[in-house]
Amino acid sequence: MVKRKLGALEKVEADLPNLQHKIKRDPKSYVEDFRAQHYQYESHREIFMAAPSSATDNGVISLRDLIDFISHVADCYPDITKDFPQQLIDMLMQHHLTLEPELREKIVGSLVLLRKKELLDSATLLNTLFPILISTPSKTLRLFLFQKILSDIRTANSKTTNHKLNRTMQTVLFNLVTSDRTSSKGLWAIKLTRELWKRQIWTEAKAVEVIKEASLSDNEKVIVGGVRFFLGGDKDREEAEDESSDEETVDIGRVKHAYGKNKKTRKNARTVEKAKASMKKKERKKGQPQLLNFSALHLLHDPQGFAESLFSKHLQGTKSNLNLEQKLLVLQLVSRLVGLHKLQIMQLYSYFQKYLTPRQPSVTSFLASLAQASHDLVPPDALEPLVQKIANEFVSEASASEVATAGLNAIREICARQPLAIDETLLQDLVMYRKSKDKGVVMGARGLLSLYRDVGAEMLKKRDRGKEAAMSLRAGERKEKRFGEQEAGGIEGLELLEQHKEEERRNKRREQGLPSDGEDENEEDDEEANWAAWNVEDDEDSDDSGGWINVESDGEIEMSESDDEKDEHPAKKAKQENGEEKENEANSNEAKEKKPSLATTRILTPADLAKLAELRSQASSTSTLPKSKRGKPQAPGTRHNDDPLTAEEIEGLAALSAGKQTREERIAHARQGNPDRAEHKSVTAKRKEKKQAEGKSTTNKEKARKKNFFMTLGKAKGKGKRSLVETRRVLKAHQERQKRGGRRANGR
Amino acid sequence: MGSSAKRKKEKQKDFQKPKLKVGKAKAKPDNFTDTSFKSKGIVLNQQSLRVAAPSSDTQFTHYLSLLSSKSDSQRRDSLAHLTTSISSRPVDTPLPQPVSVILPSLLPLLLDASNNVRTQLLKLFRTLPSTDIQDHVPQILPYIRAGMTHLAADIRVSAVDILSWLVEVAGSEVVSCAGGWIKTMNCFLSVLGWHTEESTKWSSNRASFGKSGTQGRPMIRVLLALAEFLNAGIGRPDPDVEMEAEEGADGASNWDFPLCQSSQHMVPLSAAPYAYLNLFGQPRDEEGEMYETREDRFRVFSSRFRGAVERGLENARKEGGETGRASSSATKVLKDAIAYGPGP
Repeated sequence: MVKRKLGALEKVEADLPNLQHKIKRDPKSYVEDFRAQHYQYESHREIFMAAPSSATDNGVISLRDLIDFISHVADCYPDITKDFPQQLIDMLMQHHLTLEPELREKIVGSLVLLRKKELLDSATLLNTLFPILISTPSKTLRLFLFQKILSDIRTANSKTTNHKLNRTMQTVLFNLVTSDRTSSKGLWAIKLTRELWKRQIWTEAKAVEVIKEASLSDNEKVIVGGVRFFLGGDKDREEAEDESSDEETVDIGRVKHAYGKNKKTRKNARTVEKAKASMKKKERKKGQPQLLNFSALHLLHDPQGFAESLFSKHLQGTKSNLNLEQKLLVLQLVSRLVGLHKLQIMQLYSYFQKYLTPRQPSVTSFLASLAQASHDLVPPDALEPLVQKIANEFVSEASASEVATAGLNAIREICARQPLAIDETLLQDLVMYRKSKDKGVVMGARGLLSLYRDVGAEMLKKRDRGKEAAMSLRAGERKEKRFGEQEAGGIEGLELLEQHKEEERRNKRREQGLPSDGEDENEEDDEEANWAAWNVEDDEDSDDSGGWINVESDGEIEMSESDDEKDEHPAKKAKQENGEEKENEANSNEAKEKKPSLATTRILTPADLAKLAELRSQASSTSTLPKSKRGKPQAPGTRHNDDPLTAEEIEGLAALSAGKQTREERIAHARQGNPDRAEHKSVTAKRKEKKQAEGKSTTNKEKARKKNFFMTLGKAKGKGKRSLVETRRVLKAHQERQKRGGRRANGR
Repeated sequence: MGSSAKRKKEKQKDFQKPKLKVGKAKAKPDNFTDTSFKSKGIVLNQQSLRVAAPSSDTQFTHYLSLLSSKSDSQRRDSLAHLTTSISSRPVDTPLPQPVSVILPSLLPLLLDASNNVRTQLLKLFRTLPSTDIQDHVPQILPYIRAGMTHLAADIRVSAVDILSWLVEVAGSEVVSCAGGWIKTMNCFLSVLGWHTEESTKWSSNRASFGKSGTQGRPMIRVLLALAEFLNAGIGRPDPDVEMEAEEGADGASNWDFPLCQSSQHMVPLSAAPYAYLNLFGQPRDEEGEMYETREDRFRVFSSRFRGAVERGLENARKEGGETGRASSSATKVLKDAIAYGPGP
């Protein structure tokens, strides 16, 4: 039924909003009127309950309006309205299927409003809304309810984390997922958890547990939802965080400047206030310590069990009816878990066997998963046949260059994680492909080569080892890594600190006129001074080199250590000292080998730690590199353990292979490297644009150029009629002015 | 930017008056759209041509459906038509439609915005046979209560009018049906503004929300209706009625000796004899409960409402004038009832 149009008179007579306004201002005086409206609501409710489905607009005021009215002023009369929330809940729970949509929405909205007014607690509200969310067939209602539930949980967690509510809600979700594994209702649990995870409201293991159960369900949609959460939930979270920090970056200086120049209106003043407030807020936020949030993959209680059951249920079993794409997702998750937690699932590797052929659809994803699933605790026996198979199937002169590239890249990624997975002859064979004609293949083979120069140079042919590796092999510095061997941990960057200390000591000695090496009697005094300067702020020593930043070498040319040291103190010293020093250095190099690390000989003071952090940041700082090198992705060896390996990385440069791309594609690819490059323009035009964007004004010259022609006509006419004397005067004045530097004497 | 003569001329054009000439058609505007069209014939898709006029039954149903029309006058007119068709039917013939069909479309009109519709509705109600109404009192009462507490004063007054009609027609059912006693009393108190000690102290122009309405003297009518309602609920039982009841009992007790009080064992005469069991409805609270006997009602009244009503009546009496007179009739009923006490 179309809503009846109200006449002016009717509106005045039945003006609930007006009454609402008055009640809010003076609840005591209007208690009788409110009571009357409450009775009215009661009788309308009675009428409605008698026939819920045939509820229509009754005259001027409908039940909807009354519900709205009462829920808005319910907090003024808690004793009269104490049953009201329960009545609404009953109405919604019993009749949500047959209710008229508008009324239904109003009831939900009113319940949320009552929650805001604290007349209803969050747990009750969520217990009401959630069952309806998962049972209602109406799409709009589901959407509405989902929003409301989400916002309610968010507000409940806004000030402090509401652990009780979160726990109950997570239990509800957990039960939803585990109670009926075949139904698709678990999707709501995933949706809710993912959203709250993204907003960093739920960061506990319990939420992860819900998703874990979801990904072990029997319904494909639920499985995929759960798996996707593990694969992308943390990325979501990071992106959301970036977004929130990006938003509204107001330049306060500019706003203030504009306010100084423009007309002073109240609105402008408010903008300035707002900008200041947001600035302050941001400052405060900056001061707060960063919350440390673990990724969902780290919060799993039993990764081994989870990965095993995922693998046996969805991949290994013949019963699972997932399609290839879904299987790949599950496989990605399993292999990430295996790689991250160094799990042992031996069947997984034989499972890969049958998928490693070039004809297999999306084989690069399989290769990437395999590489992810290998880590240094996987027995080489399990991996070796796989590597062999990849080499046989993919890498040959006869196969297409893309295929060979993918194979080489996959082998490199596997071997980077488990260097023992390949035998000598195969490796030497594969390295030979660096003479291939295809760029992708060459890059793949070179990658493999440089990897083994690092991790196992003795497996390469002698001429492939390279200078550094060969020298260190000969010196016996490198030892072959055995299976399962673990490196002892240490403090990151400690050797930097050690180096710095050494240098400092030498400088001091040089100042005192002593030979830069040799025993230092004052060392202990120094140390005492260090302890005295316990506070980081007081420590002035660390400021010595504060302004200097070590430039990272380009990576191509490695300079030997001794060269570095020579550069640090150039030709200040006399030439005769040089010989001595070389000797000394050789001595010290040997000494370094034997000397126990700094951490074992002394206790690090806070000043030391601060210095350490500084040195570390300097070492990794790339700010002085040219712009073009800054944004480049890091070498494959330096990737973080948590980052997933994607199929694109396996495909590698195959996409670049010559002759396969059109010009447009190449341009697009080149654009990708620098996405925010504007269209080509002259420098002047760019500057002009920048000025305009900053809200600055134009120059006088530009103004003159833009001036309307008709405005200049009068002056031009007068010019022709000048007498000789007048012209001279003008010209002289002009010259004077030029000398002075313009009318305003710019620059004086 | 219009500095050139050409532009000025162009601008001028917009403001020039079109010249009208006698005997010539007005010039068409620029944006004129020709909507005329030519056709050999015009065919109407739906055309109901009948020789016989529609029967009175069909007309009745038609007008019944018009009750939910959007225009006030349409609703009023169809109500008027229904009234005449009911009242002018031959004596002792059934209604064109049963009351159970008519009522659902009539009841929402109790809260109608238009005065005329509501007065016409009351007229229609008066023509309905009272025996039929008695069975539908529980359906009607919620609407009446909604009307009595409506924001618009006019609707409140007409709801009170309809209540007094209903009490007149089916007094015992009104006070004894579910929620009929306490809830309706509450509504009365709220209409009169007698609920709390404080609110009775206000003079007649207390800070009530909404317009006072156009019908005037609402207080008097409400007081009269209250008197009738109280009389029906807790008034001294009419000796004639009691006699009749006894006679009925006697009639039944004319049976042979072992069968005494046999009327208790017979099938009850009322339409819903087991309503008090509330087998199919929502669970009731104290307010929604049925109070079937005078004793129950008196107990509830004296515990809940007596103080408020007495206080209110006293204040109304002090006001004097017509209000005072109206209050005195209600006071009389109240005094009678209290004198009679909880019953024999």
